[in-house]
Order: sequence, then C-alpha cells, then structure tokens
Amino acid sequence: MDMLLMGLCLGVAGVVFVALAFGAAMRSESWNSAVPELPLVKAAAPARFFSNRVPIAPAVPPLQVPIEVLLLQIENHVRMEQAAAESFLASPTQTLLHSKTTSPFVN
Amino acid sequence: MTHELLKDLSSAEAGQVLKLGTKLIIPNGVSLFRLGDPADRLFLVECGRIRLTLPMPVRGREEDVLVEERSPGQTVGWSALIPPYRFTLAATASLHEAEVIALPREALLQYFSANPVAGYKIALNLAVVIGHRLQLFQTMWLREMQRTVEVHSA
Repeated sequence: MDMLLMGLCLGVAGVVFVALAFGAAMRSESWNSAVPELPLVKAAAPARFFSNRVPIAPAVPPLQVPIEVLLLQIENHVRMEQAAAESFLASPTQTLLHSKTTSPFVN
Repeated sequence: MTHELLKDLSSAEAGQVLKLGTKLIIPNGVSLFRLGDPADRLFLVECGRIRLTLPMPVRGREEDVLVEERSPGQTVGWSALIPPYRFTLAATASLHEAEVIALPREALLQYFSANPVAGYKIALNLAVVIGHRLQLFQTMWLREMQRTVEVHSA
C-alpha cells in the first residue's frame, strides 16, 4: 500500500512538473512572438524583356550636336540653298524655285 | 586669268586697269576686310578662295556663317564703288592662302573719267556681279519664306 501511494505521489509530482515546464515554455514562446516582426522584403521583380507597358523615360534633354558639327551643317545648308537658287536662276520655273534639298534644317 | 570685272575690255585696257592695283597675299584664315570696315578698295581674286561671311549668334556665341565663296576670276568688295562705301560682309582667305589684286576706288574713278568706254564696260560687268548677288539672295530669301509659311500654316 505504501509503495502504491509513493508511486501515485511521484506520478502526480511528475505531471505537475511537466505541466509547469510546458507552461514556462509557452510563456517564453509568446514573449518571443511579441518582438516586432521585421518587414518583409519583396524580392526584386525580374527584368521583363517583353512588356506591353512602355516605360516612361526620365526627362533628359536631347543630346546637342557639337557646335563644330552644327556650324558645318549650317554651311552645308547655305551651299545647298545657293546651288538650288543657282539652278532656279539658270532655268526659272516654279518647280525649281521650291525644289527640296537634303539639308537637315529643312527636313 | 580672265576677270569677270574686265570682261569685254581689250587686253590693253585690262592691262591698264590691273596696273592700278596691288597684289596682296592673304594667308589662310586671315581677314581681307571685316563687316562695317570702310570700303576703299575692290579686289579681284587671282588664286585661292575668299569666304564671305556674316556674324550670327549660334548657341550664344557669335559665329561667322558662310554667305558666299569667291574663286579666281571673281570680284570681292564691290561696296568700294557703291555708297556708303562700307563692307556689308566679312572676307577671309579659306583653305589655302589667297592672292588678290586690290584696286583703289580713287584710282579706278580717275581711270573711268579718263577712259569712259572702258569705264562703261566695267560698270556693266559690275552690274552683272551685283545683279547676280541680288537674284541669288532674292531666290534664297523666297525659299526660306516659303518654308516659314509652310511651318506656320501646318
């Protein structure tokens, strides 16, 4: 009988110990969960090679040609206009008066 | 060398006119005259090229923009014979050095008085040179005007 009671007491004590240990473990876990979560970082979207959406280009001024090139273009324009005017004077017609040149200033 | 200004003159007359002048060598890029300078000499191009330019603001900088180029046989600086005797363009030797014959206005006018027939022929030749410039620029102006109208009426 004594042995039975001793075993029962040890069993109850074991259950209580396990219950306390479990409770302590749960408390520490819930305390850990109170730590603010770090924001989730979204993975960078892979680059799309094909898309219906046209990306909006940043406002960048168009590249200016160097002034030497611009001056050369002006000179070529003058030469072409003179040649066109000479053609008109050699044979004055309405068509020749308004003939087109390949000058970048008028195209 | 046949100069447009001396066309239809006898070789003796042409020789007399050329004797009035002085040969000048203009190194490449050096100015023969500038816009607004007093025009007291007229030039006959012997060799090389002379660029006639006007100043034009380009991107905030004043640049000499080509208006015309004169080659051997052609005349430069007829403002020397037309009041108010001021150059209305700038002239510079281009590509290589240029050689010109500079004819002083006073010497030319004295020659014309003494040789009216030769003077008359030279005056007619000068009228052709001036007339060609006028017609050329009239045509160029009209072409530019037409484009302006097209742009503004589009």
